[in-house]
Amino acid sequence: MIRHATFFLLFCLLFVCFNAALWIYSAKHQQTLAGDGLVPEIVGTLGLTDLCLATDARYIRHLSVSDPLSPYMNHPGALEHFPSSALYVPR
Amino acid sequence: MKTFFNRHLNILDYAIGNLWRGRFRSVSILVVFTITVFMVASFSLLSNSLRSAAVQLLETVPEIIVQKLEAGRQVGISIDEIPKLDTIYGISEINPRIWGYYFDEINGANYTVIGDPRFGRDQLIPGLPLEMSSPEKLNPAISPAVVGTSFVQSRRVGQRSNFSLFRPDLSLKSFRIVGSFSDRSSMVTADLLVTTIEDARDLFQIQANQVTDLLVSVANPSEVNVIAGKIDKILAGSRVITRNQIQKTYQVAFGWRSGVGLICMLGAVTAFAILAWDRASSLSPDEAREVALMKMVGWQTSDVMLVRFWESAVLSTISFGLGYMAAWIHVLFFKGALFLPILLGWSVLKPPVVLVPVFRFSDLLLIGSLTIFPYLAATIIPAWRSGTVKPDALV
Repeated sequence: MIRHATFFLLFCLLFVCFNAALWIYSAKHQQTLAGDGLVPEIVGTLGLTDLCLATDARYIRHLSVSDPLSPYMNHPGALEHFPSSALYVPR
Repeated sequence: MKTFFNRHLNILDYAIGNLWRGRFRSVSILVVFTITVFMVASFSLLSNSLRSAAVQLLETVPEIIVQKLEAGRQVGISIDEIPKLDTIYGISEINPRIWGYYFDEINGANYTVIGDPRFGRDQLIPGLPLEMSSPEKLNPAISPAVVGTSFVQSRRVGQRSNFSLFRPDLSLKSFRIVGSFSDRSSMVTADLLVTTIEDARDLFQIQANQVTDLLVSVANPSEVNVIAGKIDKILAGSRVITRNQIQKTYQVAFGWRSGVGLICMLGAVTAFAILAWDRASSLSPDEAREVALMKMVGWQTSDVMLVRFWESAVLSTISFGLGYMAAWIHVLFFKGALFLPILLGWSVLKPPVVLVPVFRFSDLLLIGSLTIFPYLAATIIPAWRSGTVKPDALV
């Protein structure tokens, strides 16, 4: 009869194998991100600065060329209210 | 050594048997723990994949961008300022550019409009890789446009080539699509509309000598910071952004200090507080009797603590394994579906986000230390309490 400890160690091994498979799959798909060099070429040619993730707030769409006060510039006492900005660290 | 391993294996056997006997309680802890690990790991992998995407996709961003600020807000910069930079040795090229946001009142979407001086009514931008390119559609009388995939879907352009946008005075300006970006580049081009600098100026009704920013190319990359400093001195009130700063932005943009990060962290801490409380207050009469019997047959307090440690270790390892694996599947195959609504927010355009996390041992350690260690630490005192039960008081 297989002892409990062996079951547990087998689970640990299975976990490592499954995760290793995910890591390898992920590493192979890294190349698809850059579209085989297409994206850096477009970025370089057009002088783009940011990822196109959220397009609701201007300062989130172009995060790297906005300053930290941009969300509060709509009017005096303006509060930040865009949900997408909840994912970004305030700079 | 063999005795040592055998002892631990036997105790592990006993601990797993204990967990199985109290399987209802074990499973409830396992589920809460797995969900906690899943949330923390999902956020960590999501931010990891966005950082990785930024590193790969934004490696060729402009070396220096010059903007002008007035009262803390970005305003147009005059092209008459360009000759002032001629005195700086090391600048190889300066490209003025107009870019801005167009709010489409028909569907509520925001597009990014770029006016490029190399784009003409009779020629496309040299070297710009496009999925669809129709130079034969170029016509000196019609404004040309190259558009992203989300723009095409949002405007329902279909097979049509022509579309119109409103100028600020509500007069219509017509464009003809002469090219479109591939969906493989959607992570940077989905909402783009690229046109000639004159047409962008006309669309936004910007004064003739004004542009939005200057793209400065530097011959020697090691001189970027020095040249940026010189530009800052020459152009008073300007904001000079270097490639290094842009790339750094995305290295710190997604982190635990963000709102969602804090919620995940807070959720993890609360879940652990509940688990720790459960462990601390759950020495049932049966468990106390069990410990008393163990001590009567010769077990020491340290042995009982060891059993409790192995119980916690088994529970936390299984939960960590399941939660971490589920988080990878969630981010890799389901594109972080739980966090995607937050990532996209109120965006009308939904750019296809590609999330591919990178395995880093440091991330694994961080997730483990945020989830496993607090749980193990929280079970030390209850384990000691259960180990110090007096047998004669119970049996």
